[in-house]
Amino acid sequence: MSDWKFTARQLAKNPLSMTGLIIIVIFVIIAILAPLIAPTPEGHRNPYMIPRDGFFATPQPPSENHPFGTTQGQYDIFYGCIWGARSAFRVALVVIGITLLIGIVLGSLAGYFGGIIDEVIMRITDIFLAFPALILAMAIVSAIGPSLKSVMIALTAVWWPSYARLIRGDILQVREEDYIEASRGLGASSGRVIIRHVLPNAIYPTLIMASLDIGAVVLSAAALSFLGLGAPEGYADWGQMTEFARNWMVGPPGNPLKYWYAVITPGLFILFFVLGWNLLGDAFRDIFDPRLARR
Amino acid sequence: MADLIRIRDLSVRFYTYEGVVHAIDDLDLDIRQGETLGIVGETGSGKTMTALSILRLIPYPGKIESGSIVLFDRDSGGELELLKLREDRMRAIRGNKISMVFQEPGAALNPVYTIGDQISEVFLLHRRQELARAAKQRVDSLLSDGSGIASVKKPFWRWQSRLFNKIADEPHAIEPRLLSHVPLLRRLLGRLRDEAGLLTVNMLKSVEIPDPARVAAEYPHELSGGMKQRAVIAMALACSPELLIADEPTTSLDVTIQAQMLELFRRIKVDKGASVLFITHNLGVAAEVCDRVAVMYAGRLCEVATVEDLFLHPSHPYTRALLEAVPMPGKELQTIPGALADALNPPPGCRFHPRCPSATPMCQQERAKLKEVSKDHMVACYLY
Amino acid sequence: MELRTYIIRRLFLLIPVLFGVTLFIFGITMLFSPVQRAMLYIRDVKQLADLPGVIELYGLDRPFVLQYGTWLGQVLTANFGYSKIASMPVWEAIWHYLPATLELAIFAAPLIILIGIFMGSTAAAHKDKPLDHTTRVVAILGWSLPTFWLGLLLIMIFYGYFTGFLPPGRLSMQMDIVVNSADFIRYTRINTIDAILNLNGPVLLDALRHLVLPVITLSVVNVAFIMRLMRSSMLESLGKGYILTARAKGLAERVVINKHARRNALIPVITVSGYVFAGLANGVVITETIFNYKGIGWWAWQSAVNLDISSVLGFALFNSVLFVLVNLVVDILYTRVDPRVKLGQGVQ
Repeated sequence: MSDWKFTARQLAKNPLSMTGLIIIVIFVIIAILAPLIAPTPEGHRNPYMIPRDGFFATPQPPSENHPFGTTQGQYDIFYGCIWGARSAFRVALVVIGITLLIGIVLGSLAGYFGGIIDEVIMRITDIFLAFPALILAMAIVSAIGPSLKSVMIALTAVWWPSYARLIRGDILQVREEDYIEASRGLGASSGRVIIRHVLPNAIYPTLIMASLDIGAVVLSAAALSFLGLGAPEGYADWGQMTEFARNWMVGPPGNPLKYWYAVITPGLFILFFVLGWNLLGDAFRDIFDPRLARR
Repeated sequence: MADLIRIRDLSVRFYTYEGVVHAIDDLDLDIRQGETLGIVGETGSGKTMTALSILRLIPYPGKIESGSIVLFDRDSGGELELLKLREDRMRAIRGNKISMVFQEPGAALNPVYTIGDQISEVFLLHRRQELARAAKQRVDSLLSDGSGIASVKKPFWRWQSRLFNKIADEPHAIEPRLLSHVPLLRRLLGRLRDEAGLLTVNMLKSVEIPDPARVAAEYPHELSGGMKQRAVIAMALACSPELLIADEPTTSLDVTIQAQMLELFRRIKVDKGASVLFITHNLGVAAEVCDRVAVMYAGRLCEVATVEDLFLHPSHPYTRALLEAVPMPGKELQTIPGALADALNPPPGCRFHPRCPSATPMCQQERAKLKEVSKDHMVACYLY
Repeated sequence: MELRTYIIRRLFLLIPVLFGVTLFIFGITMLFSPVQRAMLYIRDVKQLADLPGVIELYGLDRPFVLQYGTWLGQVLTANFGYSKIASMPVWEAIWHYLPATLELAIFAAPLIILIGIFMGSTAAAHKDKPLDHTTRVVAILGWSLPTFWLGLLLIMIFYGYFTGFLPPGRLSMQMDIVVNSADFIRYTRINTIDAILNLNGPVLLDALRHLVLPVITLSVVNVAFIMRLMRSSMLESLGKGYILTARAKGLAERVVINKHARRNALIPVITVSGYVFAGLANGVVITETIFNYKGIGWWAWQSAVNLDISSVLGFALFNSVLFVLVNLVVDILYTRVDPRVKLGQGVQ
């Protein structure tokens, strides 16, 4: 546990990681306080659907009622961005959570028992990894129909192999350590050895990768939504809002940047969200790299 | 014996996050020509830093604060103030007049290049003119021989001869240098590499590596620890340096190889007449190989004497404690009480006084200066 | 292990992988109705008119295993079905759209490699100095950027604001006509190369103009990735013992860095280039879509959105094969660069 204190101290020293942490904390606050910051109007059933102020197609610039303006179809951008933080966390946590689970279980089995179990599981991961992630996700989503749920399923299917591989590698390393042999020598069952000894030691690098990946997952989900394969129209999702903006990236001649607010704002939210996690993940990686001496 | 290296008032400090570390403090040391001087001390005593200072390779965040290191050049007869030398002239000395062998031979060798390549590199760097002359001779003799060279190729061979001539006069001549960057024409200079290869094989032979031609073509990971160390020594001796610095060369080797290695060092002294600065924490090894031994503690010199004198009449309390601590069958294991001086906050005055059985109040205030207690035997202690 | 044996072995392993891939994707298609799946079997336009006949013919309402078998048979005769979007069989569609994507890749890949490696190693060589910090910040920003958003921004600025300066698409209308005219021979259907071969300056310029933005968009994320990897790899390399030895030999700092450090630092970067390729494949879809650049990625996206499964399947298969082949090449390269690794050991 003193490892955590050391980690915290190291994090605090690094200005980049502090920035990342601050950014993430801000987003967490936004997500939690969404109903307060951007209250859902009366009678609006699904808070994740952005309320519309009319049906006029052209985006309107920021005004008193709409601090960030409205995008195509008069969806309020401010609302979308704030509640978008919630969607983002939802997608990220679900996907990473499930992927970690699958990856850890399969990776542990493969790494610990080796032999044919290892071979089989590795071939399966090979199959999945032979696909570029987006394409596989596209295939899955086009098969089961676009929605945020299918995006989550697709991303989970795409992501778990890397974790399985990672855990397996770590377990292969840890497996050879003496305290594992000692534990076996004392009669501990394989399950017990895995859970109590192997996993806690092997899990650090995986957790680092998981934290780095939160940004990547949200990015991919946004890309899928942008391509029209994710959240439905009007959903409070950053990627989806950027898709709206696509029709308005160039305004009328003479004022080409007219609809900048529709294009820039959702993208900025994505950028900062991912940036925050990447900064943090980078700092984690620097701290946990065993090759870097503890200065 | 005349001096080869004269170190005076050397101070090296490290500026780290946590504070300033005094790695070396006002060090005075001489290395004489043809002698093997050992530096003995625990980790952190400053032995390696002394060596790196001579080569001016102190890594960041370290800095050579003050002092002077003078090299009395055997060949040119002049004096060189190493700490004030221009960097390019310093580079001409590294690997050439002064070279170094490190502790871990495996780590010292680049895994992606062959042994031969890495040794030839030294020749190509420091013996370019010699190589060029030899190459030119070879090309010229083959040309005049006339046999076997297609007439199409003859102009290229003549070009080679001219190039080598240029390099023989001026190792960094422009035309050959430019040429070496052009992909196909580079091959014209290939002979230099071949000549260097011949010298390399000879060098490997001289360090008793069996089948040197084959070894030269191998990669570091294909060699055993002992062979690697020999290869590294060959690399260091390639240009017949005046000073060979060996930093714990036998520490990572097993005992039988160690013995062979020490024999090799003894031979080097005899054959090459080079001085050797032998760094070790093992007194036994020092006794085997060295002519004189210097004892360092916490960045300072405690005692320096001939090897017999040091072992028979150890004067400094630290030296005495070290000798006492050597394990002997039948004798109870002695240790030195206390802990190593804290590098960030060293004790004032003599660094050893907290652990010294003979400490006096004066020891806490100011360190003692080096004094000669008998012929060629210097000690820094108030007891004398 | 000998090179040829190794390659053959690896190619053999391709089979079970492709088997698994196709099985998986086919499984997904079972979620579709028979009508949609009929598209997988159509070979030409005429069959489109007689869907019930096709369903009947290929037994699309029969059990899964039989269907998979039939489909597999189809695939083995190089019949991947029909692409609605392209109005031609999938196989042909791939060949039709490939050159455009290749063109992107030809420009993006060297950019990514050169800039990434160069900046990465320079940053490492000047650690903790301003250049290093700038590079790191740029790298992290680039890595965090949503590619699609970057594309939009670039269009907004360079096409919208600087009106028409760097337009989307592959060619402007006039040049398009030129390229398809009888005077212009399309050797490769890669516009820049063809333009050079045809000694046609205006087409070359036009093609380049259209390439600038997509290539930048495609490259940014990957450059950032390689930059960071190269930097950390160089730092690790520079901390090794042989660097001190190299300096102690009297080598100039420049030689130490270029000859000794970089060679070692490149090793993990090469390992990773397989993944970079995958990243490119992803990026291509988004980039081509945004810029209306009609390459394979664009086609795949259109197919996905329109639920044209045969195209998506064909694309996925094509990609898988490519990916496995690229990994094979990377593994072989790896053994060439690192003498410690023998063929067959594989990338750890």
